Amino acid sequence: MHELYRTAVRLLGDGAKAEDVVQETYLQAWKSFARFAPGTNCRAWLFKILVNTIHHHRRNWFNLRRVADSDEILERTAVCTGPVPERIARAEILRALTSLPADYRAAVLLADVDEFSYKEIAGILNVPLGTVMSRLSRGRKLLREQLSELARSYGIGEGA
Amino acid sequence: MNTACDKVRDHLDAYLSRELPEETSREVQHHLDACPQCAAELETRARIRTQLQDAVRATPVPAGFEVRVRRALNQTAPRPRTGLWAVAAAAAVILCVFLVNLLRNQANPEQAILRKASGRLTAVLNVGLRDHLHCAVFRKYSKQPLAASQMAADLGPGFADLLPRIQAKLPGDLRVIQAHHCEAGGRQYTHFIIAGVGRDNGKIVSLILTRREPGESLAGGIDQTGVDRFQVVGFESHDYLAYVISDMDAQQSLQLAASLAPTVREYLAAHAVG
Repeated sequence: MHELYRTAVRLLGDGAKAEDVVQETYLQAWKSFARFAPGTNCRAWLFKILVNTIHHHRRNWFNLRRVADSDEILERTAVCTGPVPERIARAEILRALTSLPADYRAAVLLADVDEFSYKEIAGILNVPLGTVMSRLSRGRKLLREQLSELARSYGIGEGA
Repeated sequence: MNTACDKVRDHLDAYLSRELPEETSREVQHHLDACPQCAAELETRARIRTQLQDAVRATPVPAGFEVRVRRALNQTAPRPRTGLWAVAAAAAVILCVFLVNLLRNQANPEQAILRKASGRLTAVLNVGLRDHLHCAVFRKYSKQPLAASQMAADLGPGFADLLPRIQAKLPGDLRVIQAHHCEAGGRQYTHFIIAGVGRDNGKIVSLILTRREPGESLAGGIDQTGVDRFQVVGFESHDYLAYVISDMDAQQSLQLAASLAPTVREYLAAHAVG
């Protein structure tokens, strides 16, 4: 339950909304329990419901940036990422995560924090495996770029 | 950096996530062994991932959150009426209780498996299973491989030399990915987490050492049992208890324990690690 909440907070950027969404996820899970095939991955199933619930509310709550915008962001970023600081404050890394477009952020969270397999993520996000891989690749690259910008702001790697 | 490095760097994140086909994973590993720049890049990416995990997992959960969710769940159960409605409502409540239990087990799957284990596992074998579940299976620690130097540092001088000896005894498709001291249920453990190499090899094995407490012993010095999806093999070693716990089958598990046991015993006897 806690990891659902923490993922929801990072996807929504708001603790109160995250709590509502997780609560709704469990209610939804209860309602659709009959459709849950025993033997399938219960954890992935709950995350899928969470993602669907967030998706359902997103238009009402936010005008989240679309992936089309993120392509522009990618074009603006350097091709080669510079050094990343060794010690990063938690708040800094969370800020970098929050700066990622929502679709990339979801993929990175599910893979690198919740440690789902790419195949499970494809099921959770209801997108093809190739889409998961490209979102991950772009999301991770953007995250590294954000962190290396942080390094530059600390004066690390200048002139390198 | 050359084109081989470019190609490897495209694969590094998938390599960390163990999503590469076995052959590609071997090629990447081969390149990493020979290229310190790419090995350093791998460490950077692993470090970012660990820091990201730490940061997200440190997000505080509001007080009373679980209670509120359970209360909301309970309130949605239809109130019993008469006839078919009563039957439907009763069925819904049963489903609800079942689901909440399922979700509770999901929230704390360690306890769920340990509950299953009680009665089927001797207390001494349970000691090792507890740490395996706590630390390796439910991933208090990440599954990404750490550098040998990092693991040696985590183990400290008492156990660092055991690491290469264990690695040398493992079959080619397994390797140590984490090694450290940890605590579960108030007990101290030395823990080697061993994982399958390659995307399709999802094996997770723990070699766990813990100091024997008064009165603890294994029948005949070695014991094996299966619980849930795990095989637990325990053996006595000097004044330690050692466990090999895995999701492999009973025969493979026993074989692995048998090949590790002499090394572990010899090491503990020679070093009398404090």
